[in-house]
Amino acid sequence: MNSFSRRAFTAGALASLLTACAGRGSDAPRPGTTASPVPARRARPLARSVPVRLLIPSIGVDTPVLRLGLAADGTVQVPPVTAHDRAGWYRHSPTPGESGPSVLLGHVTVGPYGDGVFRHLARLHRGERITARLENGTAAQFAVTAVRTVPKTDFPADDVYGNVDRPELRLITCGGARTGDGYADNVIVFAALSGTKSPTPGER
Amino acid sequence: MRRTVLSALALAGTAVLMGTGPAFADGPSTPSPVPASAAPTSQPEKSAEPTPAPATDEPTRAAEPTPAPATDEPTRAPAEGQVSRVPSGAPDTGVAASPGSGSGGTALGAGAAAVLALGGGTVFVVHRRRATGA
Repeated sequence: MNSFSRRAFTAGALASLLTACAGRGSDAPRPGTTASPVPARRARPLARSVPVRLLIPSIGVDTPVLRLGLAADGTVQVPPVTAHDRAGWYRHSPTPGESGPSVLLGHVTVGPYGDGVFRHLARLHRGERITARLENGTAAQFAVTAVRTVPKTDFPADDVYGNVDRPELRLITCGGARTGDGYADNVIVFAALSGTKSPTPGER
Repeated sequence: MRRTVLSALALAGTAVLMGTGPAFADGPSTPSPVPASAAPTSQPEKSAEPTPAPATDEPTRAAEPTPAPATDEPTRAPAEGQVSRVPSGAPDTGVAASPGSGSGGTALGAGAAAVLALGGGTVFVVHRRRATGA
């Protein structure tokens, strides 16, 4: 093999290397196309099953989940003001893990009974875990993507109830300054499905 | 000899072109995240109008001369499985306790106890230091 052949062989090898690199580059994951922050990996949507329990370990929430509908004036129903405050799922929204925004509500305080179930919701941070246990035994695990405090007079209905193309969660409570016997703001936690856990025997 | 060299170079050139092919094919798809990143701006938070103009919701069709308002939100999933009835207003999820009672009173008491404990601790330390002659 003389010098010309050697150079030609080197050029060919270099070209093959370039080809391989280009091919690998095209397989690289592309950025997500959704506007909201995406968790590390995208979990598959779950089948419809109503939530029965909500757990947020970082703020000590472990509550049964009621079903809520619409009040006569068109506003969303909220859980009753009782000593043992519970969260509620808005039944005209997807169940947790279904594609779309699943909406759960809870009180921040319950008048004479003290703290509500979502008393420390505003303390949640991006990435923290929320688990919704469903009636069929599956646990839908979510990761917080955003926590927002917004004036009630400017409630972002589109952001909360608007269509999304993946399973998401909205946790809503009150916050901010007190106004009479209520609050001026809403605290809204946005979360996206990060994983699922199959039912285990005896667990619900 | 020269034929060997030339054919080897032709082969190398072909391989390079084939290698760049996928990269070019991949190229035009990379701008697709751009409209996605512009999507938040197309969803104004303070829009009081219930029917936002469809043209602003179509960043990918902005270059087309005839903005057809037929498709409202092409990047979003169909309404199936989404919120079927949107409530009006903001949820009223907080009943504040009456002033001076409940958790407010408890917090006040806890604060007073903390102040007392701090004061007591300071007095103790001062006495201790005086006793040891420091």
